[in-house]
Amino acid sequence: MKRAFRKSVFNGLVIGLTAGAFSAGAFASDKVINESFHPYKDQMPSHEGLSAGMTIDESNVAQFKDVIDPAFYTFIENGWTSIAVGKTTSFDLHPAYVDATRNALGEVSLGEQVGEINGWKAGRPFPQEPDADDPRAGEKLAWNYKYGYNWGDSAAIMPFYWKYRDMESAKVERTIKFNFHFLNYKGRVIQEPTPEITPNPSDLFRAIYVQVLDPADVRNTQLLIHRAADDLKRDNSWLYLGFQRRVRRLATGQVTDAFLGSDLMIEDFEGYNGRISDMDWTYKGTRYMLMPFYNHNELKLDEETHSDSNGYQVVAFSGKGGCFPDITWQLRKVYEVEAKPVDESHPLSKRIHYMDAQTFTIPRTVAYDRKGSLWKTFTIGQAHPDHHLPKNEGTGVSIDDSFSMIDVQASHCTTGQFKGQVDPELSPPNMFNVQHLRATGS
Amino acid sequence: MQTTIKGLRLWCYTLAGSAGLALLPINSAVAQEDTRVNGFYENATYGRDGVGLSKFRNTLQLEAEKRAGDVGIFSNVSVNATLRGSYDGVYDLNDDEYGRNAGGPVRLENRAAGPNATVPHGGGLKLPNSFSEANNPNEGMIVLGENLHDTDGGVAFGVPVRPCDEDERGCIDGYLDKDTNDMRFQEFNDRADFIRELYVDFDYNFSNGNILSTRLGKQQVIWGRTDLFRVLDVINPVDYSRNNIYDELEDIRIPMWILRTDYRMGPTEVFDGLAFDDLNFQLVWNFDKFRPHDIGQCGQPNVILDAGCFFRGMNSLWENGGTVANFAGGEAATDFGPGQIGIREAHMPSWSLANTQVGLKMEGVYGDLGFSLNALTYRSQLPSLRGGIPAQNGFTGETGIWPSLIAFDIHFPRVNLFGGSLDYYAQSVDTVLRLEAAYTTGEEFANTLEEDLYSESDVVRYVVGADKNIFIPFLNEHQAFLFSGQVFGQHILDHEREQRRFGEAGIPDWKENWTGTLLIKGFYMNGRLSPQIITAHDFRAGATAIAPSVEWLVSDNFRVTAGANIKVGTGARKFDDCRSCNPWDPFTATYPGQPAGESAGLGGYEPLGRFQSGPIGMAQEEDELQLTMRYSF
Repeated sequence: MKRAFRKSVFNGLVIGLTAGAFSAGAFASDKVINESFHPYKDQMPSHEGLSAGMTIDESNVAQFKDVIDPAFYTFIENGWTSIAVGKTTSFDLHPAYVDATRNALGEVSLGEQVGEINGWKAGRPFPQEPDADDPRAGEKLAWNYKYGYNWGDSAAIMPFYWKYRDMESAKVERTIKFNFHFLNYKGRVIQEPTPEITPNPSDLFRAIYVQVLDPADVRNTQLLIHRAADDLKRDNSWLYLGFQRRVRRLATGQVTDAFLGSDLMIEDFEGYNGRISDMDWTYKGTRYMLMPFYNHNELKLDEETHSDSNGYQVVAFSGKGGCFPDITWQLRKVYEVEAKPVDESHPLSKRIHYMDAQTFTIPRTVAYDRKGSLWKTFTIGQAHPDHHLPKNEGTGVSIDDSFSMIDVQASHCTTGQFKGQVDPELSPPNMFNVQHLRATGS
Repeated sequence: MQTTIKGLRLWCYTLAGSAGLALLPINSAVAQEDTRVNGFYENATYGRDGVGLSKFRNTLQLEAEKRAGDVGIFSNVSVNATLRGSYDGVYDLNDDEYGRNAGGPVRLENRAAGPNATVPHGGGLKLPNSFSEANNPNEGMIVLGENLHDTDGGVAFGVPVRPCDEDERGCIDGYLDKDTNDMRFQEFNDRADFIRELYVDFDYNFSNGNILSTRLGKQQVIWGRTDLFRVLDVINPVDYSRNNIYDELEDIRIPMWILRTDYRMGPTEVFDGLAFDDLNFQLVWNFDKFRPHDIGQCGQPNVILDAGCFFRGMNSLWENGGTVANFAGGEAATDFGPGQIGIREAHMPSWSLANTQVGLKMEGVYGDLGFSLNALTYRSQLPSLRGGIPAQNGFTGETGIWPSLIAFDIHFPRVNLFGGSLDYYAQSVDTVLRLEAAYTTGEEFANTLEEDLYSESDVVRYVVGADKNIFIPFLNEHQAFLFSGQVFGQHILDHEREQRRFGEAGIPDWKENWTGTLLIKGFYMNGRLSPQIITAHDFRAGATAIAPSVEWLVSDNFRVTAGANIKVGTGARKFDDCRSCNPWDPFTATYPGQPAGESAGLGGYEPLGRFQSGPIGMAQEEDELQLTMRYSF
């Protein structure tokens, strides 16, 4: 009897502990997921004196030094631009991406060398809060960016206007009109087929296809980038030159060079468009910072650059040289990550990325030249998909909607005005083949 | 003359009117999203050392595209048109070099009378059957090759240089017979070249995801991976009269009516373990009537290899007779009668199904390797001179086929090409490597060892190219320079050459030769200012072309390019000229017992040395300053 009692108590304890452990584990998982994907669910960030609707300019910027990155702080201090503060809003990523993260929680690990990852299939690979004591915390954040929801499984920016501007004279020297297309081959969570497009002989992770529409001297220039799932493998890139009607393979050196004379290199696309293994990553800390997140439809837009039958208009620019987007900024949770190129001949000595913790986009980057001097700063405005084109509503994609790359040494900038469309029909897989460049070229 | 001026006005008005009409809708150029109309006006003004103006070309080009989307069973249907018209004022502004007043009376070397002795055209040693100067007056001519070299004991003859409506001597029907307006208004000819491209694109989508992608119409089809050289890129002929070998092929390919269809399979697993990232099969059917390269007519500023002058002079010799320098006995200027030596006619392939040209290409990406396999059966776009035609014996008056007589017809033989190309990114040296190779059968070469003075040879050609971006910090701290180098090799597999009594005879072309090119291009002002230098060196010819230029994008619409084209190194070279071929034995024997039709190897600059000098060597005296302005709309 006593033994039976003991046994039943023991059994009960085992069952209870097991259940508790499971529920505690589930609770822990939910906590990780919630903190990673819903950082503003329980508490909104705040900063003394900061409120939605106010403007930060040279008169009051000193008060907000802690929530503005140093480069942008200088711009405001110089009177080049100001920040219109908006309310912090949640940019919820698509539930399928969140579920994929939850399902793989704890199954993903870094390999021995930078650029190696094990166990990732889809979703955010390392949703846990970065640990300052973890020497590879920066690398994990870089993986979160690389495998981020970004543009979703596929999307297009059609059209995409780049303007080259002299910051001193405000002269627009050049306007290039592009179409950009993105396609994920792996880690797909919504658009069929999931989780991978097959056949995929080269085991690609992602592809980017770019076509120039205007002006005449670069019309029909096309760029195709194939990024392998194996991060240690270099991208394969091809350029179709309209004036030659030929496809040319690109050397890596060409992806760290000015793209079509702009202030961006191919490696700058989307914040960082290279391999994890090309950089040494260092996590520098977590902060609340003002970041360019906004509702596109609530902005005063540019009425001249673009018009179409849908009535869509692109973000306007103003400030010194017309180099700053007319958008609102909101206080958000940010991971500061330093990326130093492994290759000593890289034109940069380092980039400081300010990664948005909820979306893992990179809305702000500050880049330093080989001497260590401030060279360029990159702003990518993020628009909420539910306040953008109707087709983007509910996609859970933080829409890249405007950009400004400022070369502070040359007093020059390139601005970007987007019509981002999360629409799989605009980016079919056959668009991302080399032959498509030839077929599309005139 | 009156007619010419009227014609000029008409075309000028037409061009100006077209330009005006085209420019009107500039603001609405970004019209409907499925329609695109744009174009450019360009002025290219070149000045040549010692000649003056060598180009004053004004071009208006209009491009239009209409996308129709899905039509019936087809998708991505679109219609494209490119119209181009140009007026080159050099024929009016520098007409004593390139127009109706070009040339003059000539004197031809006559070593028989002394080292520097000459006779006027018509003043040579008269053969029993000679020519009448009344039919071939000494006017409007140059001495063959005079712009590049002295006669120097070799052969030469007078070459008419005026447009064919001014002087029809030496104009070869259907081949090199341009009149003044054909030169002034290059595109307005009987092949309607002002319709530069006109084609329809359409796709058929298979249920398995593959696509049959077709382009039908007048178009350019580009094969290969190299710049400047045409190893695989041989489907369209090329207009070398525009700027020799130096223009972008895009601008000088002569579009043809072609059906091009691609079966696009995309990523494809052929069988377990063999999968391509991209796989594509292409069929090209060039059903247009044959066209050769435009090699430039004598009297135009750009005559590649100066071949057009040789041909014109030779045709004039055949048609009218004429004086040939240093011929009889290797040193007496000699007057030949018509129908004795020269070029009789060009056999231009007529349109027939058998004369159409077909190509197949398999192209894809396998791992890090881009590749193509190509096969093409086509007509040589370069002329072949075949001897063995009936001609009059200048001594006996008898007509017959004489061995090794320099009397030819022009043919364009059928050539079969097999080749392929590769590109690869070498990560360890951060360099893109490109390779292109072709093996051809059926090409014909001049050969003074043969009685018909030509022979066929298989040929291997290849280009190895490398592209690399290199930072030169003291020139540009922030942007790398593009270095692109190529080596082009040509191997004539059935090459023949023999040492004869006075020199070598056989195929003048080098058995093996290589040409290297290097492009260095920099970018400033956000790519709006781009200096570059292109050099090309022909190793065997010992000739180099250096072409520095600066391109300035003043605005999105306006571009100015200033440059130069300078040649250094060796120019003309000598080879057996068949003076000593002894066709009319015994009258033409150069030594006792010389077999009939066997060259003794006596040589000079003309006519075969040009094949050793190559296009760079033959243009050694054509240094130019070049200014091009283009306004796009």
